[in-house]
Amino acid sequence: MNVNTVYQTVLSILNKEQRGYLTPFEFNTIASQVQLEIFEKYFEDLNMQLRIPQNDSEYVDRVKTIEEKIDKFRTSKDITVALVNGFGTFDFSALSPSVHRFGSVDFTDRTLLPVTIEKVTSHELMLARRSQFTTPTSKFPQCSIEGTTIKILPAIPTSAVVGITKSYTLEYIKKPDAPVWGFTIGSLGQYIYATGASTNFEISDLDQSELILRILAYAGLVVRDPEITQSAAGAAAMIDQSQQQ
Amino acid sequence: MTKTSATIPIQENDAVYYAGQMKLALAAGQSKVTFNPGDGGPLNTVLISNYNSALVAVTDTANFDIHILANQTALPTLANKVAADKFYVEDSTNNTVNFLANGVAGAGEFIFLQLTERAVENNWGSYSYLSLDDIINNFLMAYIGDDKILQKVKRTDVLFHARRAMQELSYDILPSAKSIESTIPITLTVPLPIDYVNYVRLSWADAQGVLRTIYPLNGLSGNPTELPIDDGKGVPTQSSFGNNLEAAQSIIESRWEKTNQSNISGSSQSNDSNGIYDEVWWKQAYGQRYGLQPELAQSNGYFSVNQRLGSFSFSSNLSQKVIMINYISDGLAVDLDSLVPKMIEEAMYAKILSSIAYLSRNVDGNSKALFKRDAYAKTRNAKIRLSNLKLDEIVQVFRGQSKWIKS
Repeated sequence: MNVNTVYQTVLSILNKEQRGYLTPFEFNTIASQVQLEIFEKYFEDLNMQLRIPQNDSEYVDRVKTIEEKIDKFRTSKDITVALVNGFGTFDFSALSPSVHRFGSVDFTDRTLLPVTIEKVTSHELMLARRSQFTTPTSKFPQCSIEGTTIKILPAIPTSAVVGITKSYTLEYIKKPDAPVWGFTIGSLGQYIYATGASTNFEISDLDQSELILRILAYAGLVVRDPEITQSAAGAAAMIDQSQQQ
Repeated sequence: MTKTSATIPIQENDAVYYAGQMKLALAAGQSKVTFNPGDGGPLNTVLISNYNSALVAVTDTANFDIHILANQTALPTLANKVAADKFYVEDSTNNTVNFLANGVAGAGEFIFLQLTERAVENNWGSYSYLSLDDIINNFLMAYIGDDKILQKVKRTDVLFHARRAMQELSYDILPSAKSIESTIPITLTVPLPIDYVNYVRLSWADAQGVLRTIYPLNGLSGNPTELPIDDGKGVPTQSSFGNNLEAAQSIIESRWEKTNQSNISGSSQSNDSNGIYDEVWWKQAYGQRYGLQPELAQSNGYFSVNQRLGSFSFSSNLSQKVIMINYISDGLAVDLDSLVPKMIEEAMYAKILSSIAYLSRNVDGNSKALFKRDAYAKTRNAKIRLSNLKLDEIVQVFRGQSKWIKS
């Protein structure tokens, strides 16, 4: 979703009755905040929709629609697992893009099909390894997370040796990049949109209306016009409501 | 016996399945071959070589030979057979064989794999099994998820209940595929098999190879689990470390080993020196054997499971006899590669579902009851299926209906 389109729409609504002006800096800050709000709402919406019977249509299956919105943020990275204190471990704090929501770790043993490492709590991992029936194996491995470190059992480090390759892939949701309305200063001191210096919204353009309304609601606070805030917030709430019924 | 399970769809061709043979082209300079390049592959058998990567002998259970053929039409012979210490299995998952020690391949050469006779036999019938691993993966895929009864189940739980289902079905449903042949030594004890859970039948083979059932002691004698040495007043004595002193041998067992089985079974001894059992005397002794217990009137001998020794103990008349031990295991002795007959696949799913649902707070009581009934019905079906009742065979047995039985 083009950041300039959103900014210009917001400005045109704000300036219609000379209510005030939203500077690029203010817009960027608010836009980043609103994008995160809508992004986080995807997960709550999906959780809610999963409890409701869905249809099998092409365009109005809400679960499918929300999953498609989330798909854009799905990321997978090959990670190097090392052997530390009897566990296979990996610290994902330095991953780029950074991990926003942890998904799963897949383990590939040589050319076998990958297996998803079951994520459990440290306590459950300890319980599982004590039972002969459930102790983690290379076919059914388990992991727990402590801070930003993944601890995997059985402890099999990454190996690139031909014939006995062991590899791990981390699946996660990355955080959306903050939108930036980049600009240059014109000869009259005006802001001129600079595509190269800008970052577009990453969330789905299906949410454009809601995005603009929510930005407007914050903009109303900036320009001290409660009427804008109230009407924009009301309209955004109506969109929310209609999406959840 | 290490049975294999076939892939679905079948990837082995006729030559691999029936003859255990596989031929692959080699590139010049090639020194290793992967017979199963993917997950599963054209070879069900996991290759085992006698030598490891350091070309040190590590086992004697190799299940294949390889030959390097000069061209596609060349036949495997002793001359082109690669010596066992010149190759090894580099990766058993993909059946990668490294033969660098024998030299790299020349242009146009082929490698010819020949499984041993035993390995070929273990693979025959492989399509009737699937692994417990497959059952678990299928269950995870088909029974758990959004819009299903079980929306979220830990894989660990499925693992646990799958293995328990395997155990329970092994005890009740699965055919006793396990049997070993052994000869009873003069010590009259044979160790319990490595994966023994319970016996089905013990029998000894006569000169014709006909099996005769050996009966359990059932209290006739016994095998004590502790042998404390007492002080003459019934109080066990202890060592200087405070532990009870144990006797090396049980007195009861020693006496039982010396028992003349004829005294228990009441069998006649025509060569008895006193002649009391010969025909002349016998006719005068009608009624003397009144009171004989039919249960004990058998000459096939007795066995017991001696928990103290971890062995089967046998009566003295079975010394040096060839016996067959049919027993059941729990199907888990070889981890997740345990094989499950396809006939009970549905029963396995139903049993896992029932067990998980039973413990779930989120499943209503009616559904739990339904799953339980379903599992019971499918288990019963599985038992009927594995009972292997065939109409022709039943008819053959029924032909005996017109035979007169003398009394």
